[in-house]
Amino acid sequence: MALLDYMEASKLLGRYGMHSIESRYVGSAADAVRFSDGKPIVLKVLSGKALHKSKAGLVRLNLSGRNEIEAAYRELRRKAQPLKPYKIIAQAMSSNGVEIIIGGRDDPQFGKVVLIGLGGIYVDLFRDFAMGIAPLTRRDASGMLNQLKSRQIITDEGRNSAELESLLLRVSRLLQDNGSIKELDLNPVIITKSGYQIVDIRILK
Amino acid sequence: MRKEKNLKPMLSPKSVAIIGASRNPEKVGHIILQNYIDAGYAGKIYPINIDATQIMGIKAYRSVLDVKAPIDLAVIAIPAEAVPEAMEECGKAGVKAVVVVSGGFAEIGKAGLQEQLALTAEKYGMPTLGPNCLGVMNPRSRSDTLFLPTFKISRPEIGGVSFMAQSGAVGSTVLDMISGEGFGLSKFISYGNAAHVDESDILNYFMKDKETKVIVMYLEGIKDGKAFMKIARKVGRAKPVIVLKAGKTRAGSQAAHSHTAALAGDYEVAEAAFRQSGFIIAEDISELLYYAKIFASEAQPRGPRVAIVTDGGGAGVLMTDAVASSGVLKLAEFSPGTISALKKAMPPLVNARNPLDLAGDADGRRYAEALSILSSDQNIDMLIVIVLFQTPGADSALAAKLIEYKGGSTRPMVVVSIGAEYTEMHKRMMERSGLPVYDSPRSAAAALAALYSYSMFRNRKSLSAP
Repeated sequence: MALLDYMEASKLLGRYGMHSIESRYVGSAADAVRFSDGKPIVLKVLSGKALHKSKAGLVRLNLSGRNEIEAAYRELRRKAQPLKPYKIIAQAMSSNGVEIIIGGRDDPQFGKVVLIGLGGIYVDLFRDFAMGIAPLTRRDASGMLNQLKSRQIITDEGRNSAELESLLLRVSRLLQDNGSIKELDLNPVIITKSGYQIVDIRILK
Repeated sequence: MRKEKNLKPMLSPKSVAIIGASRNPEKVGHIILQNYIDAGYAGKIYPINIDATQIMGIKAYRSVLDVKAPIDLAVIAIPAEAVPEAMEECGKAGVKAVVVVSGGFAEIGKAGLQEQLALTAEKYGMPTLGPNCLGVMNPRSRSDTLFLPTFKISRPEIGGVSFMAQSGAVGSTVLDMISGEGFGLSKFISYGNAAHVDESDILNYFMKDKETKVIVMYLEGIKDGKAFMKIARKVGRAKPVIVLKAGKTRAGSQAAHSHTAALAGDYEVAEAAFRQSGFIIAEDISELLYYAKIFASEAQPRGPRVAIVTDGGGAGVLMTDAVASSGVLKLAEFSPGTISALKKAMPPLVNARNPLDLAGDADGRRYAEALSILSSDQNIDMLIVIVLFQTPGADSALAAKLIEYKGGSTRPMVVVSIGAEYTEMHKRMMERSGLPVYDSPRSAAAALAALYSYSMFRNRKSLSAP
């Protein structure tokens, strides 16, 4: 299985109406500072050899100001040396909110499966997740949300339900249309007052 | 697109050929023939045996080709190597359906032999069950291919529950247990290796079969997930399906590259497919029966509010706890009308609140009076009646009152009775009259919760197309 390039993955999501957080590869510390343009940013190392970035210390959050950004860039580049080939990506800093995971996989028995769960990187701990077999209907998607113990938090007492259902339907359609995708993680997706933000993407073909 | 397989001739055959019928009582073919005779099967029976001209007083034939009359079902009980030829002859003779009870195929590594069987079945468009299975049983048509003597496993009465099991052993165990329940059986299908007819075909047949009201299934694997899902989505909205799937524990660790893949293992995905289809998921064999019982009663709940009537305070509290922890049911609040009527009719020691404790000396009359007051209360959607038959007032007259009351009520109602022989006797009496009886507060609450959840699933509208 091969990891799809991050920016490619982001574009693919965009074609299905899912907008991930503003991101760009940066080739130097100065480039990262330019991306920041005075706003706080995140820097991440992307490499096929390190799939769990935050556990490996390859993510630096909430960086602002030239000095901090440049120092973080240099540190990440040093850590990334054994992980060649790698890229460093800069992202806008996400809003605060509840972290969830939206996922998909190609099950040998049932075909494409869509998942939603609480917890972002802590989903393994909470194990509060629901799945559905694609193609999903809106009824299926709403049934999935209903199965979650944390549905009140995730849907913001129901205010976000329709939008999250739509997101699940978009993932379902993307998986159905792109047969070669084996696994997909949108993790975390952050639930905000105005909707959601896809902060990290991992697509394996 | 898979072709629909017509399983009617398999379950309700007008004529049966038993290939491998034998005079030797130790042979499977002998037991099957014996069972057809014992059950009083009314159709034609054709024993097939190379050497014999007559078995158990019935004319025998060398081959199905010699019968020269229509054969709906052929049961094959001969060594595996001889099965392909027998299948070929069945095809040529125009047999409508086949059950291969013989083992010795893919389960011992002989996949090629099994493949041959499937190809012959396909070539002649002849639905074939097995191999390596118990076959089918239908108490209505009295067609019964189970090679288990009737003294070892009781045959259930006629009812509305149809049951499919991959495993013959679990199948016969559950069947034996169903025979001890009041709800009865519509059809039983044990499908073994599923070389041709698989779980999706059987599910489709059960969905369309008018005599089947409730579907119960025991699964180990699923042969074709996509075909299964397609049919499961339809059947779940048409009839209640209760499923027990073995293999929850994951054998070995899978190398997963994403969080999703790590969470979505085989069992979890199968469970998601069941949930999405509205199936009721049982965790073990006893739960299969708890759920089958309540759905067989064909009760339709209007809502989740439960009234509890009891002759023991402690049991009432346990029941209240079970209702609360079901996550679905709610304790009903009696209307002011109910409360004043209860105060007037009941002895002073009876508190007019839910759970309604009728006290240890409650008899049939007190139960009947209380139930009749509750029956006009619009705040109550379902009834749980606890009867502890160890108490002085609880006897057959009380059981008879409950049966009578149930007959005039449209609300879902279950009885909880915990005890040994005397209780068992009354449990049977009530269940035979269509009143489900549970042996623990927990199982009763789980059953009603499943009933209500399923009615919610069925009534849930899809908001819009994807």
